[in-house]
Amino acid sequence: MNSSVTSIKLVLLGEAAVGKSSIVLRFVSNDFSENKEPTIGAAFLTQRVNIGEQTVKFEIWDTAGQERFASLAPMYYRNAQAALVVYDITKPQSFIKARHWVKELHEQASKGIVIALVGNKLDMIENGGERKVAKEEAEKLAEEEGLLFFETSAKSGENVNEVFLGIGEKIPIKKPGEQANEQSGLRITDDQRVDLTNSVNGPVRSAGCNC
Amino acid sequence: MSFLGSLRQKASFWDKIAENFAPSQTRDEKFRNEYKLPLEESIIDDTNADLSFISAYSKSKELKKKEGQAMAYVYSGKLFLTPHYLVFRDAFDNSSCIMILNVSTIKRVERAPFSSYALSLVVTLYSGTQVLIQFIGVRYRSEQFCEQLKKCLKGNIDHAKALPTFLDSCYSEFLLRKNLLQMKDIKAPGGGLGQKFKYPGQNTVAKEKAKLRLWFNYFRENGANLAIVKNYTFEKLIRVGVPSRIRGEIWELCSGSVYLRQQSPHEFQEILAKNEGKTSQAVEEIEKDLKRSLPEYSAYQTEEGIQRLRRVLTAYSWKNPDVGYCQAMNIVAAGLLIFMTEEQAFWCLSKLCDCYVPGYYSKTMYGTLLDQKVFEAFVQEKMPVLWEHIEKYDIQLSVVSLPWFLSLFFTSMPLEYAVRIMDIFFMNGSKTLFQVALAILRINGEDLLEAEDDGMFIAILKNYFLTLDKSSHPESADPKFRQITKFQELLVTAFKEFNIITESMVTQHRSKYQNGILQNIETFVKKTQLRHMPKTFHLEEFELSNIYDLFYQSIATHKIGMGTGSSNMDFPVFVGFLAKFCDWCKPSDSDRNPTYVEQKNEFLKRLFKKWDSSKTGELTLNDVVYGLDKLVTNDLLESINYFFSLYDGDDDGQLQREEVLQISEGLLFLTDPWKTGKFVDALTKKSIEESIAEQFVKEHGGEVKMSDVQLPSGVTIDEEKFKAEQSERYLQAASNFLQRSFEYAQPVELEKDINLIDLSNDDQEGATEKREFNSLKANAALDPTHPKVINLATFRMIILADESYELLFSQTLRDSIHTSESVNSSDTKNKALRNMFDGIIADGRRVAESVRRRVDSVATKGSIASTESNSNQTTHSNAVSAVSGNAQEKTEDLDDFTTEQPGEHEELLSNSWIEMGDTGDDSLKQSRPLRSIQPNPVESEDNQPDLIEFET
Ligand SMILES: Nc1nc2c(ncn2[C@@H]2O[C@H](COP(=O)(O)OP(=O)(O)OP(=O)(O)O)[C@@H](O)[C@H]2O)c(=O)[nH]1
Ligand SMILES: [Mg+2]
Repeated sequence: MNSSVTSIKLVLLGEAAVGKSSIVLRFVSNDFSENKEPTIGAAFLTQRVNIGEQTVKFEIWDTAGQERFASLAPMYYRNAQAALVVYDITKPQSFIKARHWVKELHEQASKGIVIALVGNKLDMIENGGERKVAKEEAEKLAEEEGLLFFETSAKSGENVNEVFLGIGEKIPIKKPGEQANEQSGLRITDDQRVDLTNSVNGPVRSAGCNC
Repeated sequence: MSFLGSLRQKASFWDKIAENFAPSQTRDEKFRNEYKLPLEESIIDDTNADLSFISAYSKSKELKKKEGQAMAYVYSGKLFLTPHYLVFRDAFDNSSCIMILNVSTIKRVERAPFSSYALSLVVTLYSGTQVLIQFIGVRYRSEQFCEQLKKCLKGNIDHAKALPTFLDSCYSEFLLRKNLLQMKDIKAPGGGLGQKFKYPGQNTVAKEKAKLRLWFNYFRENGANLAIVKNYTFEKLIRVGVPSRIRGEIWELCSGSVYLRQQSPHEFQEILAKNEGKTSQAVEEIEKDLKRSLPEYSAYQTEEGIQRLRRVLTAYSWKNPDVGYCQAMNIVAAGLLIFMTEEQAFWCLSKLCDCYVPGYYSKTMYGTLLDQKVFEAFVQEKMPVLWEHIEKYDIQLSVVSLPWFLSLFFTSMPLEYAVRIMDIFFMNGSKTLFQVALAILRINGEDLLEAEDDGMFIAILKNYFLTLDKSSHPESADPKFRQITKFQELLVTAFKEFNIITESMVTQHRSKYQNGILQNIETFVKKTQLRHMPKTFHLEEFELSNIYDLFYQSIATHKIGMGTGSSNMDFPVFVGFLAKFCDWCKPSDSDRNPTYVEQKNEFLKRLFKKWDSSKTGELTLNDVVYGLDKLVTNDLLESINYFFSLYDGDDDGQLQREEVLQISEGLLFLTDPWKTGKFVDALTKKSIEESIAEQFVKEHGGEVKMSDVQLPSGVTIDEEKFKAEQSERYLQAASNFLQRSFEYAQPVELEKDINLIDLSNDDQEGATEKREFNSLKANAALDPTHPKVINLATFRMIILADESYELLFSQTLRDSIHTSESVNSSDTKNKALRNMFDGIIADGRRVAESVRRRVDSVATKGSIASTESNSNQTTHSNAVSAVSGNAQEKTEDLDDFTTEQPGEHEELLSNSWIEMGDTGDDSLKQSRPLRSIQPNPVESEDNQPDLIEFET
């Protein structure tokens, strides 16, 4: 058993139907579903991964995307150490919304929160769909605001694990002593553990190709 | 406590909102609520009565035929008449008999022969069913009731004609006809998707049929749809679980949406037709979610199912644009559509959103947030141990409970169970949601106490919902016990143990927390909106916050917390808005003067038009912020330019003759508060300080030590004098403005710089001849046959040539717009003049500075004082000495003024003047002529504090 387990509280934000829940589903269960019900309010999932020597437990808060649910979001990004701000690369409006979220997080969330900007549904342009948000534009925003940046496909699985890996690497790892009391209630189970360091070109990818 | 403090401050505002949200219900509202009747149904009359309901198909009726004896229960209670309904309720046992009868179903009303002393009626319905009514009470009152009933029947003929068509859509009617009227091959009316795609759950055919028979028997005895008696059996049948085929009808009957559908038979189709092809934000959001609605139900993987869902959701979004579309409505509507036609689902969804879960799906979801709070309060009250645990481990209860409420358990439980909860929900109202939610926590209480983080907490409940069909006591020795499923256990716990949660308890809790919730939402919405505001150059963040408050306070129809109503500002609201914080827009005595009112309107209309970026006749918050930002600039030239642009309608940088007249009236309006002495400007302030200083020096002689200069407390100042002087100064400014405008107006072709030269020429002393020449020129300018214009440069010159007007644009205007005061303090803003003078006196530092200067000058030489005052001081402090010195010039000026004044303007001016209670001529004589370039009064003001700092 790995003695040093770090918990990372992570929140997903972004316009409705950009694929937040799908990204989480891909990450947690390596699965994808074509017609996912919208998230009502919020959902909570966890996933443990090994990053190098370290076991990181992601506590994922997946939020509802519709504008009017926005007043609930602070409840979930409170104390979050990381955030994925997701947009759909085929929907310009969702990118505008992403900007808003970044702004809100910088103003309201805990200082030092690690934010990753994620352009999802990459598979759609690979399958002949039209890209509406330029990669450069997103990179520029990421640069200006100090964000990690990824383009992903929850459908194929492309780049999804990399997002979480990137976040895991950016968050300062707590020393084991610090978390001893905090993690007292933790039960470490080995099922479903993904080893991110090896997965980049590993089975996740090939599984995605079957979709 | 700052929170309570701010709450109190906002109290009046929130009271208004709260009134709308939880009004103390009127009798009619309570009545409608209780019987789920539409909004139109107010009580016309009521009476005590005995009532019997004898169904046409009743078995007892058959008995009656045989034995010649009427066999029917007689209920004693109260009978109500509304425009379209007769409602009866048993007075002794409320649930034993509730009759709701739509008057369209009445075929005949006769007086019954068998009772001579009291009035009795036999009401025969379309089906042959008879209702016997025996009135209790004074005869003439009973007669009155009958009269009213007759009127209702007459007024309802159209609906009565449409009745057969309507009844064809009712499954209950189909059951009765098929079985009692021997119409064997009659076709079932259209229903929900379940007819084609199967109903959820695996109820055996036999069980379904048995349940259906129970309902058939009920309808047979007690009527159905629009003419029904509800008694204990009705509730019992619902608790048992409504058979899928008539579930849709029972839902609409319990919710009362059936009455809406009957009342507006074409509305649904009309809404769709009217909005066909139109798009909106709601429509777009709906599109995104259509395929994401109960994906596990096969119909929603087909075009047919998705089409129905699309039509119901979009129709609702058009009907109620305040709500539009909220995620979770797709799931609820999808649930309804399994059992209902589109039209039924549309009305049921309307009823649900408006009455059952008010505010759940609104733009701010305040209802959802509120009920989460109420739910938490219930958990805390009823399950303190669990609550403590939840608090201790910081578990977000709302993650699990919010979807229960928002999607009415549809996303949490398997469909077949969720619809059973809906059966009871439509009968009992929103308390059902709380009862079930509490029961879920109670049943899983022990496991939940083991959960130490959100993940485990959620997992326990998820697992529970997946095993609802399993035995709740699998280990029990008693097979009967073992048969009880977890779902049955849930129902028992919810409706037995938690029947202590009553509707009134829910209402009470809601009103307890609603202020806090609305307040939170308001803060959040405000923060978000301010974050997305365009960048401002002059307004600070805290001013934006004040403007935001003032804006929404002005738009009374908009409920921020509830996210309803228009959030834009039309002209009348705009005027009220400005009146809250702009001195020149506040209500005043001048409002009685029609000329002033006209000026005010004209100016405000121009301002409104300028701000209305979308040209829709409505201002958004952004428009207002953007406009105010320009108006409050500290930059003199920018301010003058902006004012000029208000009048330069065609934006060509030139004002025509008409526009010049209007701009002068605009100035008159804008300066009215100072002209009428409501406020004092910086110049007057300074003269007052000077005068106090002078008085002080006089009293103490030249021997004053600086340490003696305290706040002059006993000083009296002649308010009236300063007021008069100020008015006079403004009046003079107005007349000079007009005079100069026409003097310096240039023929359309002339170049700009000529004016500059002209003006500087004029400013040299002894320009009398030139003046006369100019007045001729000005008269020519008034002649419409020789068009002349004033360009921006000239306008600026004219403004800068007058100290009051210059000050207006450099300071007075800015200072008169109180964006820096928060909403509540602005109410007390309208201080009496007395206070204002007090304020000036209290500003001892500046007075002291004046005294010091005076003492200094007295000490050096007596004459310096007068020099100083001539060159540097304001008109007023020196008025007396100045009069003699400049008498000559002034008289001439006075002449100029009267001769050059265009008629209409003289009238205008004198009107405002009379308002002051002063007479014209004498005071005009005292006024000084326009002076040449003066040191900028703002600058000298700024210098003074510097000096003091330097000294101390
Ligand atoms: N082609 C493609 N479709 C995707 C991808 N990710 C998600 N989707 C689809 O997009 C839709 C929305 O996905 P969700 O994951 O539910 O979106 P969400 O952001 O969680 O939406 P809300 O919960 O409403 O905020 C679903 O129909 C998904 O199947 C992707 O990478 N590629
Ligand atoms: Mg989601």
